[in-house]
Amino acid sequence: MARKDFLDIVSLDRAEIIHLLDQAVPFKDLFTRSVKKVPALKGKTVLMLFYEPSTRTLSSFEVAAKRLSADVTIFDVPHSSVTKGESVRDTIDTLQAMRADYIVVRHRLSGQPAAIARQTNASVINAGDGAHAHPTQALLDAFTLREVHPELPGRKVVIMGDILHSRVARSTSTILDKLGVEVAFCGPGSLVPRTRFKRFTNYDEAMSWGPDAVYQLRVQKERQDAPFYPSDREYHAVYGITEERLKEISDKGIYVMHPGPVNRGVELCDAVLDYDRCLISQQVENGIATRMAVLFGLKPDLKNEPS
Amino acid sequence: MSTALDPAAMSAAIDRLADQIFSAADGQAIDLVGIRSRGDEVAERVFVKLVERGAQARLGVLDISLYRDDYEHLSSNPTLQSSSIDFPVDGSHVVLVDDVIFTGRTIRAALDALFDYGRPSKVDLAVLIDRGHREIPVEPRFVGEHLETDRMDRVDVSLEKIDGKDAVEIITQ
Amino acid sequence: MNLFLQGGEVATEDEAPRRADVWIVDGVIKKVGVSDVPEGARVIDCAGKIVMPGMFDAHVHFREPGQEKKETILDGTEAAINGGITGVVMMPNTSPSVDSPTVVKRVLDQGAKCRIPVLTSACITVDRAGHEMAPIAGLKEAGILMLTDDGDAVPNAALLKRAMEYGKEFDIFFASHCEDPQLCGPRALNEGPVSYRLGIQGTPALAEEICMDRDIRLAHATGATLHIQHVSSAIGMETIRWWRDERGAKVSGEVSPHHLMFADEDIGDYDTHYKMNPPLRTREDNAALLQGLKNGVFRIIATDHAPHTDFEKSQAFVDAPNGITGLDTALVSLHDRFIVTGEFGWDLIVKRYSAEPRRMMRLEVAKVSEGNSADLIVFDPDKETTFTKDFMKSRSSNTPFLDKTLKGSVEMVVLGDEILLER
Repeated sequence: MARKDFLDIVSLDRAEIIHLLDQAVPFKDLFTRSVKKVPALKGKTVLMLFYEPSTRTLSSFEVAAKRLSADVTIFDVPHSSVTKGESVRDTIDTLQAMRADYIVVRHRLSGQPAAIARQTNASVINAGDGAHAHPTQALLDAFTLREVHPELPGRKVVIMGDILHSRVARSTSTILDKLGVEVAFCGPGSLVPRTRFKRFTNYDEAMSWGPDAVYQLRVQKERQDAPFYPSDREYHAVYGITEERLKEISDKGIYVMHPGPVNRGVELCDAVLDYDRCLISQQVENGIATRMAVLFGLKPDLKNEPS
Repeated sequence: MSTALDPAAMSAAIDRLADQIFSAADGQAIDLVGIRSRGDEVAERVFVKLVERGAQARLGVLDISLYRDDYEHLSSNPTLQSSSIDFPVDGSHVVLVDDVIFTGRTIRAALDALFDYGRPSKVDLAVLIDRGHREIPVEPRFVGEHLETDRMDRVDVSLEKIDGKDAVEIITQ
Repeated sequence: MNLFLQGGEVATEDEAPRRADVWIVDGVIKKVGVSDVPEGARVIDCAGKIVMPGMFDAHVHFREPGQEKKETILDGTEAAINGGITGVVMMPNTSPSVDSPTVVKRVLDQGAKCRIPVLTSACITVDRAGHEMAPIAGLKEAGILMLTDDGDAVPNAALLKRAMEYGKEFDIFFASHCEDPQLCGPRALNEGPVSYRLGIQGTPALAEEICMDRDIRLAHATGATLHIQHVSSAIGMETIRWWRDERGAKVSGEVSPHHLMFADEDIGDYDTHYKMNPPLRTREDNAALLQGLKNGVFRIIATDHAPHTDFEKSQAFVDAPNGITGLDTALVSLHDRFIVTGEFGWDLIVKRYSAEPRRMMRLEVAKVSEGNSADLIVFDPDKETTFTKDFMKSRSSNTPFLDKTLKGSVEMVVLGDEILLER
C-alpha cells in the first residue's frame, strides 16, 4: 500500500528509504534521453503552495512534476510573515474544490504541511516546514552521498552550522542515521542542541573525528530573532571552510556538501565551489530525480469525498 | 494447473523465434529490445542464438513501468527498473521482444516508451507465447508458440535466470 | 425540599470517607450519620458513592466580555456544575480587561444570574499592559480580593514592587502568572527533545522559575501575600516551598490537573490539545509536582479552564492559542488518574479543590455537616463518563479528554435548596 503523503523522514523505515533511493536511479537515467518526459502522471494536477519564497526547491519540483507529464500550477499565496490560519484554511477549501492530486507545500511554520494533509485527500509533499523537516532534501542528500560512497553503513558525516534552526539538519541527520551512517553535529554552542548525535563546538575536533563528508548548513538570518553568534566574519573564521581548511579537506579527499544557496564567505570560501569533491551541483541535479521518485511513489486518496 | 511447455519445448520455441527473426532480417542488422521483466531474458537468449548464426545483432532492454495505463487501479505504483538502449533508436529497425502477448496493452506502453528514445524506421514484435484475447490492435510478427487459453486463465512463464527454471504453466481460475 | 442521600460515604478534608447518610431539608443539612429514612423524604440511592462538598475552582477563564464565541459566564458556570464545581474565580484577561470597578460590576452582575456563585479577580496593571497600576482601592471596594495580570507576568519588577507596597493597605493578595518575557520565545511548548523534534523554539522551565523567584522575593521584601498560579516546573515548586518554609514568605502555589498528568511527549504530532501556557514539561516534573501536592507544597488545585474554538485550535501548532478546558473534566480525571490508582485519597481532593480554595478567597468552607447550608455533590466512582461534545457544557471542547472515557461520574449537585444536577 503506497503512502498518501510525504511529510518527513522520521516516519519512513530503512527499507522504504532504500526503495525510494533505488527508484530515483531510473529517473536519473531519463536525463540522458532527448525526450526527458514520461507519461506516468499524465492528466494529474500538481499544485505548488509555497508560503516561503524559494527558487531552487520550487523549480526543482516543477521540473520533476513536468517530466512526469503532470500539469503544474503555482498557487499565488501571500508570502508575508503574518499569514494566519484563515488564509491557509481558505486555500485548502479552494484546493479541495479544484481536485488537486498532489500538493507541494513549503511553510514557515512547523507542522503546517501535516495539518494540510489531514484536511485534504490530495497527496501532500512537505517542501520544508519551519525548523521541522525537509524530507526531499534529505533524500537527495542521501542519494548524492550514496553515489560517491555506495556502502553507506559505517561512513561518517559531520553536519555543521546552525543546527537549531535547520530543518535540513533534522531530516538529513535522520535519513543518514537510518542508513547506518554515523552523524555528528558541529557549530556554535548556542546553535547546537544536545541530541543523540555526537556534538562538537570546535571545528578541529570535529575534523579529527574523521568524517568522510562535511555538510555545511546555510546560516539562516531570517530565522533568528536575536543574534546567536557575534558576526559572519567570526562565524567563517571559527566554523566555515576557509581556504586553509579547504587544503586539509582536499588532502584527505573529504567530500563537501551544502543544501544551497551558499552564503559565500560565510559557510564556504569561493574556492570550495571549484573543489572536485564538492557535491553541491550533484545535489541540485539529484533533486529532480529524487522528487520524481517521491511523486511517482505516492497515491492520493481521491476515491472518497473529503471528510 | 497444467504445464503447457516444458524446458525442452521452451528451448524449441526460442529456437523457432530466432530462426524467424534471422530469416526475416535477410542479412541486415537486428536490434532486439527486450521488455522487462522476462521479455529481457527471452531477448537475451534469442540474441545468443542470433549471434551463433552469425547475425549482426544489438541488444537493449526497456522498462515500461512509467508508461502503463492502469495506475489508477493499483494501490501502489510499480517498482521501476532501469532501461538501457545503447544504440541510437533513430532510423533503426527494432524488434521488440516479450515473453507473452495477451491484451496488447504492454506492447502499446512499450511502443510509447521506445518512441521517447527516438524515431525507429520500423518496429516488429517477437513473443515467446501468444495467448490470444487482444484488447488493442497489435499483432506480433514472430511467435514462438500459440496457446489456447480462457480470458480468466493465468499464464505463468518461468525463465531460468529470473525464476530458476524454464516452464510455461496455465492456471485455470 | 426533603432529600435523604442514603448509603454513601461522606468525604472530608481530614480523613478517609466515612459511611454516613445525609438528610437535607430546605437547603440545610439536617443530619449526617447512619439512620433510617425520615418520613416524607425523597431517597437518593448513594450506595457505593461518595458524598462530598462542592468543588471550588480558583482559576477559570470565561472570556466574557469580548470573546463570547469561546465561552460565556453562563456556559462556564454550567460546565462547572457539570463537573461538580459549585464556585469559581474568574480571571481578568477579558476584552476589556477587568481593571476597573465598572468592569468588575459588569462581570459580577452577569455572574449573579448564574446558578453558582461567581467571583472575579482583577488586573494588577491597567489593561494588563504592565505600565500603570490599576485602581486597587476602587477594585477592593468593588469586592476584589485577588489581583493578577494572568495571561502575562508583570514585566517591570519596579512596578510590581510598588503595587505590592501600595496594595498592602487594602488587604488584597497578588497572584502571579510567572514567565520571563525575553526567555519565553513563541510560547508554544517546553524546550527539550520534543521541541527539537517538532522544529519549534521551546520555552525553557527557566523562564517560569526566574520569574517565580523574582515575584516571591518582591512579595517577601514588601510583606505582600502572593499566590503562584499554574506551576509547571519541579524546581519552581521547590522555590515556593523553600521561601514559605525556610523564610516565612506568605506564598502559596496552585497546580493544575494537566500539569500532573501530561508531559510534552504527549504532544505527539503537533496536537494542540496539549498546548497551553505554561507548557507541559517532562514526566519527571509530573512526578515531582504530584509528590508536592501530596506533601502539601501546593495549597490548591485549579484547572486554568481556557476555552478556545475548534477553528482556533486547528491552526498550526505555533499559531493556535494556548489552553485547554478543565471544568467538565477535572474531578473525574483526578479520580481516574490518581484515586483509582491509590496515589491519594478523597481527603486531598476535598482539601485542595474545595476547602483551601474557599479559604484563600475568604469564603466559608463547604462541609457536609449538620447545620451547614447544602453545598455538596454525589460522585459515583464505578460509573464511567465519556466526554463527548454533547456531554460537556462548556461552549468549547478543547480538551485532551475529548471523546475519551474515564472512570467516575458526577451524579448530583445540590446547592442550597436547589438540585443543580441530577443524572
